[in-house]
Amino acid sequence: MSPKQNRRGATRQAAPSVSTQSKLASAKGFSFAQYFRLHQQTMLESLIRLFGYPLASIMTVVVISISLSLPGGLFVMLKNVERVTDQWERQSVISLYLFSNLDDTEALSLSHQLSTRSDIRSVEYISKEEGLRYFEQSSGYEEILSALPENPLPIVLKVIPTAPVSLATLQSLTDLKEDLAELAQVEYVELDAQWLQRLATILNFGQRFVYALSALLIAAVLLIVGNTIRMAVESRREEVLVMKLVGATDAYIRRPFLYMGFWFGTLGGLLACMMILLLSWWVSTPAVRLIELYHSGFELQTFNASEVVLCLTISAIVGTSGAWIAVSRHIADIELQ
Amino acid sequence: MEIEFQRVGKKYDSGQEALSQVNFHLRQGEMAFLTGHSGAGKSTLMKLIMMIERQSYGQILVDGVDLRTLGPKSIPAHRRRVGVVFQNHQLLFDRSVFDNVALPLQVSGADPMQIGKRVRAALDKVGLLGKEKFNPMALSGGEQQRIGIARAVVNKPQLLLADEPTGNLDPRLSAEIMNLFQEFNRVGVTVMVASHDLALIARMRHRVLTLNQGRIVNDGGFN
Repeated sequence: MSPKQNRRGATRQAAPSVSTQSKLASAKGFSFAQYFRLHQQTMLESLIRLFGYPLASIMTVVVISISLSLPGGLFVMLKNVERVTDQWERQSVISLYLFSNLDDTEALSLSHQLSTRSDIRSVEYISKEEGLRYFEQSSGYEEILSALPENPLPIVLKVIPTAPVSLATLQSLTDLKEDLAELAQVEYVELDAQWLQRLATILNFGQRFVYALSALLIAAVLLIVGNTIRMAVESRREEVLVMKLVGATDAYIRRPFLYMGFWFGTLGGLLACMMILLLSWWVSTPAVRLIELYHSGFELQTFNASEVVLCLTISAIVGTSGAWIAVSRHIADIELQ
Repeated sequence: MEIEFQRVGKKYDSGQEALSQVNFHLRQGEMAFLTGHSGAGKSTLMKLIMMIERQSYGQILVDGVDLRTLGPKSIPAHRRRVGVVFQNHQLLFDRSVFDNVALPLQVSGADPMQIGKRVRAALDKVGLLGKEKFNPMALSGGEQQRIGIARAVVNKPQLLLADEPTGNLDPRLSAEIMNLFQEFNRVGVTVMVASHDLALIARMRHRVLTLNQGRIVNDGGFN
């Protein structure tokens, strides 16, 4: 005989003098196995109940999945853009334009000093004359330059940092640039990574946009599930009343509705994942062709296993929470009279 | 289960006084009828025992425990010890007879094996054993009433409350239903039946509490 039965038997046979309080306590007690079995059963029954109203349930699941696949799809897009841009790394150069009153000896000693730093791979020294020659060759302003009384160009040190420039190293390179600008001999510093800085800003903007949109759409899913569950509670009003009459706890009455929300969320999340995978597959050919024009060996990223799990977890939690909000309010409203 | 009302009154928010100064003591294993005109307070009295309503004053003792000391969280456990047959909140027509009767057991987390046995035992007692798979809608009024009784007794309650259980039934069926209650009483269940079928009550020879405008005006055997 299980402990539960034992307790029940004892309760029934107990003399009326035994305190009711203790009987109430024993009537309330559930063993863990019972509790688990009850949950398992309720979970299954809630799913079956969804299939009882296939059209309404499918509509709700589709609406949820569309709301979820939008931020999910943007997330995948962002992930790919970041991946592409992460691979875009090349040798960066920080140009130091020295004050024109500096002579070659002073400039050379600075150049040596800098080349010993660990974050600098090498320093290329461009004297005023070299600069002039280079300028003449490339610009075609030969005549104008020769008309000038003296060479207007400063000494330039081309600093090659150890790290190549990419989104990941942008911050450290910017720090290095700021650092070099502090030097007394340096009049002006230039890091040829402006395009990358712009890209970083755009990506940052994109990220925030996706987060904000996700928050809005998750709120929408909460409301959709909440509203659906509210109607489900209302349509089962009579059942709720009878359950209260025969001694169901509020938790017991709430449970099937919470599982209903759980299933709406999970199924919506599952469909959203499938939609995202399908969409990724659909755009993959043109996307890869486009990107390969700039960059070779690119493979389009889509949801990986852990992201699918994350998506399902989030959608299950959102579904259950939406149900909780609706149920905790409406079940209290339904009272026996 | 024994029930004791001590100077109990119930005033609704509307100002209507449904019960006033009600005193009685229903002993363990006793059977009593509650009678009176409609609106005399029969339903209110039963709702107080079920903790569907709370009394405005006085004391209700169930097995010696003052119901006022039980908070909302204790209500479900209290209700599980009482079987009820109420006019409204009857059967659910979206499920079989079996599932209707099984509800109190499911709610208390009973073992599925046990549920099957006990539901069939309860249906057997009310004479509906062969109809467990039917939808209650397909059964007659008297049979539906008996499903309600099976549901009330399936949990082996210590107290059985019935509010007008023979409401719409012809005299022969009514007598059958009353005999059922009497059988449960014979095995030790405390029974209280609200009814205004005075002729039927007279034949049953049990204690009768008569309510009039919220007061008990007569308490004794029916002669």
